[in-house]
Amino acid sequence: MAEEYAIELHGVTKAWGDVVAVRAFDVQIRRGEFFSLLGPSGCGKTTTLRMIAGLEEPTEGRVLLEGRDVSRVPPYRRNVHTVFQDYALFPHMTVRKNIWFPLKMRGVSLADARERITRVLRLVSMEGYERRLPQQLSGGQRQRIALARSLVDEPAALLLDEPLGALDFKLRGAMQKVLKDIQRNVGITFVYVTHDQTEALTMSDRIAVMKGGIVHQIGAPDEIYSRPATAFVASFIGEMNFLRGRLLPDAQGAPGAQVGAHALRAARSTVPADAVQTDVLVCIRTERVQVNSHRRTEHEMEGAVRRIVYRGTDYEVTCSVEDQELRAAVSAVDWDPSLAIGSRVRLCFNGSDVTLFPRAEEEEIVQYTTEAV
Amino acid sequence: MEKRISPPRTLLRGVPMAVWMLLLVLVPLGYTFVTSFFQVEGLQIAAKVTLKNYALFFTDPMYSGILAKSMLLSLAIAVLGVLAGYPLAYLVSFRVRRGRQALFMLSIIPLWVSYLVRIIAWRTILGNKGVINSALVASGLIHEPLTFLLYNRFAIAVTLTYICIPFVFIPVYTALEKIPRNILEASSDLGAGEMRTFVSIVLPLSLPGLVTGFIFAFIIALGDYIIPQQLGGTQGIMFGNLIWSQFGFAFNWPFGAALSFILLAITVTILGLTSRFGSTEGGFIGE
Repeated sequence: MAEEYAIELHGVTKAWGDVVAVRAFDVQIRRGEFFSLLGPSGCGKTTTLRMIAGLEEPTEGRVLLEGRDVSRVPPYRRNVHTVFQDYALFPHMTVRKNIWFPLKMRGVSLADARERITRVLRLVSMEGYERRLPQQLSGGQRQRIALARSLVDEPAALLLDEPLGALDFKLRGAMQKVLKDIQRNVGITFVYVTHDQTEALTMSDRIAVMKGGIVHQIGAPDEIYSRPATAFVASFIGEMNFLRGRLLPDAQGAPGAQVGAHALRAARSTVPADAVQTDVLVCIRTERVQVNSHRRTEHEMEGAVRRIVYRGTDYEVTCSVEDQELRAAVSAVDWDPSLAIGSRVRLCFNGSDVTLFPRAEEEEIVQYTTEAV
Repeated sequence: MEKRISPPRTLLRGVPMAVWMLLLVLVPLGYTFVTSFFQVEGLQIAAKVTLKNYALFFTDPMYSGILAKSMLLSLAIAVLGVLAGYPLAYLVSFRVRRGRQALFMLSIIPLWVSYLVRIIAWRTILGNKGVINSALVASGLIHEPLTFLLYNRFAIAVTLTYICIPFVFIPVYTALEKIPRNILEASSDLGAGEMRTFVSIVLPLSLPGLVTGFIFAFIIALGDYIIPQQLGGTQGIMFGNLIWSQFGFAFNWPFGAALSFILLAITVTILGLTSRFGSTEGGFIGE
């Protein structure tokens, strides 16, 4: 009876005419897993969620819930619930009636329903609000009620479509913890759509990173962060430097690249090793680059400071190096106040923090900085 | 300091509206109200205050009988109007994607055609040599034209229902359009099929529009006197005709005015009782 996977997607594709929203999505989501769909707007994450809910029908492929093919089953016969971005509470029903709704649809007895409603309201810390109407609640409270309504009949999985998108920053942080705690307590599978990388990294067991309807990588947060599969994933999550270089493996054939006068060792590369001298992207996380380090590092590049941005916990120092730009995140604790625009600096890093991607992926990179790489 | 002397702008903006209301609504209404306490002497309206106009209505069962019949017929028309107008609005709002604008226009376009023209049109549809009878006779289903179609209460009901449909359609459509679509998705997502979603979500949320449409239809039907006169035949006299005849034939304006005020009182009472549920904007209950 107990299927290992709550949700399985097999080659799921959704197209409207020529526009492909999701292309051949394959994934198996375990029971009790917190699975996130992460990507910029228009990447197909919400469409994927809606196909799991049954609100969209896949053009191709199969959707399985607890081992059962539900690709053509309407939403009201699927054992999953969606938490919509703007909550979609029924405005003419009190909190109690809203939460009662799914139980009524399942024919749960009145006494049983009363007990379950009490329990689920306690779970989301909203006891005493039974008689309120949705418009008498704040955004965060509506969010909790929407959650309670979706949890009350214990579905196989909960589908959350940017549920915290409408909340302000501080409340969002608090709600993230609430959500995570509830998910852990109830043990229900969560599929969580977000464009916020921090949210995905802090909450998820696994993340699928999407762009343009294509899944770039599926993996645990640390895997996605430290071993991105494509240049897009590398750029979308965290702060990443991209230097242009040429492929230059060392004598043993280990990956490496030539950037200006520097021969850099790379820990990982998605470029075929025999494609010597082809153009590559050399990636280093900004927090892995040190400015004027006292400790010895494998590589050192000379540069001049172009811009300094204070960000509270750290400073982002942008330097020009070999006619390119290299950014370093320097902890505020280690900050050297004598650094100023125009200062000559040594930028130090290790080959173990360097990744190479084919230059062709350059156009996939998401850059929010003012200047191009 | 100068600013304080001039009246607030919002007040100024209300002046034309107030003048309009005063001249076109309140003055005639006040005049009618005063007249309803006068009496006719010969061919003159004498300004002698009396309650006998109202007394006549309450003592002669013929008048209250016609009023009761009219209200019953209007009720039936309002129910029929809702039964026809609501599904139409639902269809246009929820089911149709392409050509929705065209369908919407088609639904309200009768309002642009002269009232009298539409009445005459119904006469040609329902008459002895009308569209229905000609078709039935030509097809051989009947040999003699059906006579129950025209010049009776049936004809009044059909035609007034038709007249009322746009007045039901508009508030219901507005109310339906206001329902956020993701609420319907949420309902489906939480286990409700189409029927359950309609009963639990769509119907309650569109109830204000429905009530408004129902009242519109009822009031239009109750006050009408042209359709009963044109299509009602002998049994088709309604309260509106009664009032009209007092002003037209009988030249008993005071009694006509009294009847008008009785009708107005009934209408205002109904509006007052239902305004709690109805809304011209089709908002949500409790909002």
